[in-house]
This record gives sequence, structure tokens and C-alpha cells, in this order.
Amino acid sequence: MVSINYSAREVCCKIVYYGPGLSGKTTNLQYIHSKVPTNTRGKLISLATEADRTLYFDFLPINIGTINGFQAKFQLYTVPGQVYYNATRKLVLRGVDGLVFVADSQADKMDENVESLANLQDNLVEYGYNLEELPLVLQYNKRDLPGVLTLDELNARLNPRGVPSFEASATLGKGVFDTLKLIIKLVLDRAKSSSATAVARRQRAAEPGAERVAAYPHPIRRPEQPAAAAAAVATAVAPEADTAARPYPGTDTTRFRKPATSSLAGSSAGELPAESLGRSITPAISSVDPADSRLAPQMAPSLRRRGDTRKRGFFKRVFGIK
Amino acid sequence: MSDDTFIIYEEEIATIDAVLKRMLKGAEAKCALLVDKDGHLITRQGFTHSLDTTALAALLAGSFASTREIARLVGEPEFSVLFHQGKKDHIHMCIVGERSILVVIFDDRTTIGMVRLYAREAAEELTRVFQSIVERKDADPGISDDFTDKAREKLDDIFQD
Repeated sequence: MVSINYSAREVCCKIVYYGPGLSGKTTNLQYIHSKVPTNTRGKLISLATEADRTLYFDFLPINIGTINGFQAKFQLYTVPGQVYYNATRKLVLRGVDGLVFVADSQADKMDENVESLANLQDNLVEYGYNLEELPLVLQYNKRDLPGVLTLDELNARLNPRGVPSFEASATLGKGVFDTLKLIIKLVLDRAKSSSATAVARRQRAAEPGAERVAAYPHPIRRPEQPAAAAAAVATAVAPEADTAARPYPGTDTTRFRKPATSSLAGSSAGELPAESLGRSITPAISSVDPADSRLAPQMAPSLRRRGDTRKRGFFKRVFGIK
Repeated sequence: MSDDTFIIYEEEIATIDAVLKRMLKGAEAKCALLVDKDGHLITRQGFTHSLDTTALAALLAGSFASTREIARLVGEPEFSVLFHQGKKDHIHMCIVGERSILVVIFDDRTTIGMVRLYAREAAEELTRVFQSIVERKDADPGISDDFTDKAREKLDDIFQD
């Protein structure tokens, strides 16, 4: 579902690339990652096997910038396509807002496409979603290969509903952005239409709900909000203040707390209590006599050498050695 | 359900942040993240500046989802607490209500027991906050008509071959 965070000023949507194994889902994300400006995208994370097959999911966050004061963020996921990874594949679908089905256009892969589409439908049903209601874009991938099926053949088997479809070659980048742009548009359109139903529901609802919204005027959410309503904010935050004043469980007791003496000192000296540390260290320091010759700094090598030459001069003088 | 748009208002985030701050102070942990089970980051507190929180949120949600599936396979409805032990830093995760995960990252300045204690209390408090968010159904989701139109214009600029 679309997540709107008014505090962070973010709208977050989750888009999942689905399809049979080796159809090019991860390649789609890799192409987007390589071509989109770095300030727009995050890091591409791949949970893959050693043979570079997706094990759990690939993840690419995209931020298309600020619109009406909100950051529009999209999280692109892929699923593992292999049949026996269905358990993890299903998990990725949780909370999905839009789907891209990447089909392999090669004739011998058609059965896998059909099977994967049926599997998508089954997995969505388990979450209570309906494929017909979710934004869906079909991508017929690998069009650059020889001997692929025609669009009519593909549409007849995979697209009886007539959802938007694109020809693509993910390795060359053909059709990748067209698919992405369309699914983002469809997801936002759907979020808008669900917002319209929510507004209608609010108008039908009783007044208390409306009062609550008015109590927290938001410049972006409610541009038509009269300025007078802003004055209501001060009185409206009373319930929160009450919660904040309540002591946090555990803070008023000392049962579970560490000793109040500095925990840093305790941890750096092997958990000894601070008092015993003080006693054992202080005498050691006071016994040091600054005048003790043993502790005096040693003579520098150059000085010692000078002393030696002076001694040699003494023997010369006494015994007349030349 | 996919029909429900999940909306959090500023004052609700402020309440959640206050709970997280108290928890961090009590448990002496490094930072806390509140992550949606779908992988969206809801809010964060503490020393998170050096962390890629977006990726972290997606991976933690994935980790929790796979653990839940493991739980089902062994006949448990859900493992409500998850703990990752590292050399220096450790991660404690627990479930908050129906749809969120509270993640606490801590080091050897505190203990797992302290983190568990405070995280559990914070989770109970956050569950009540989320309950009120779920019950408030009739608010304006805030995606206006021109939001979609402006997004379309941006898309053409950004996504060019």
C-alpha cells in the first residue's frame, strides 16, 4: 500500500518485478541503476546466489524528487523467478502497489510465462489482493533475440485483459524506462483515486473525524484550510502532553538499572566499582617521587658522545699520549 | 489490504519518536528504527546518520518476513523477537502491533536484557499508537490531482536512455 509520511514529507510506493526465472527482472533493475542519476537512486541490493541467481530479492530505491513538498519515493523489488523459491517469492509481494510482469518472448519459454502468471495470481490471493485491481504492466523481454513470438501470440496467451504492454530488451535498455514510467504513473493514479474515495468517505462520516483533521492544519495536505484553524493547534495537543508526562515504565525504579556511577568508567576497567578503582590507583601515583634519579630522563646519545671525548682528553693530558 | 493507504501525521510521528527516545535512553542503545513490514522506514532515532536506513529497512523487513515463514513451517504463528549478534554491534527486533517492526541497534555498553526489557515496553506503547492510526480511517490521504501530473513531468526528465 502507498505509505504517506507527513512528518518526513514522503510518499512511498512499492513496485515488484515478477516473472519466470531468467526472464530479465534483475537486468531491468541493473539497467535502471546504471542509467539513472546518482542523486535519484540508492544502492542496488541483490540477495543472490553465487551463480548470480536471485535468492530472495533485488532492491533499488528511487527518489524522483519533491512534488508539492513531498518526496516521491519508489522501491523497486524483483522476485526470485525459479519455481522452487515460491516461499520467498511470495514474501516480496507483501504490501505491493504496482506490478511489472517480465515475460520471456522466446517460444520455448511460453509455458513458464503462463505458469509464473498463474503463480502470481495465487500468491496475491493469499495476501487478499486481486491482480485485476492492482496496477500491472507487461513487459515482453528479449525482443532482440531471433525467433521470438509475435506480439499477437504473446498477448493472446498472457494478456487477455489487455493491460498495457511493452516490447523490451533489458540488456540493451530498450523499453525499460517506458515500463517503469508507466507503472509509476499507474500507481500514482491509483493512489489518487483511493484518496478520492477516502475523501468521499470522510465527507459522509460524522463530524468528529473532520474536527480532528482541522486541529492539525497542514499546508500541503489542506491548502484551502482557513488560517483561523491554526489557532486550534495549541489546545489540540493536550492528549499527547498527557502521554508524555506519564513516567515511562521502568524509569522510576532502580531495580533493573545499572549502578548510577559512570558506566563508561566501569566498562573500561573491567567492571570494577568506581570507589575501589580510586583507592587502588591513588597510592601508586602518590609514591612517585619526581626527584628520583631512576625516573629522570636519560641522557641523549649526542651528549654521551661528547662526554667520551672529554675523557679522552684527560688521558692525553695525564699520560702524554699523542 | 492493498486498498488502504497508510498515512502517518506529524503529531503521531512525534509521539512515536518520543517513545523511541525514552527507550533509547533507558536501554542505552545506539539507535532505533521503526520499519513497516512492507519494508518502508516509518521513523528513526539515535545515531543513524552513518546508516543507509532505506536499504536497512527493506532488508530487515525481508529478514523478518522470512523468519515468520520459518516459524510457520515449525508450527509457530510467529517469532516475535529476533536477535542478531555481531562482534561489536547487535540488532534486536521485535514486532509492534500487526504491521511494524521495532529495530534496536546496540553495542557492548548495554546488555541484551536491558534492550529486551525496554523494547518490549516501547512496543506495547507503540501498539496503542498504531491502533489509533488504524482506527482513524477517514482522513485525507493528501495525494492531490496535480501531484500525479507533476510526477509525470519529472519522470520524463529523469528516465531518459
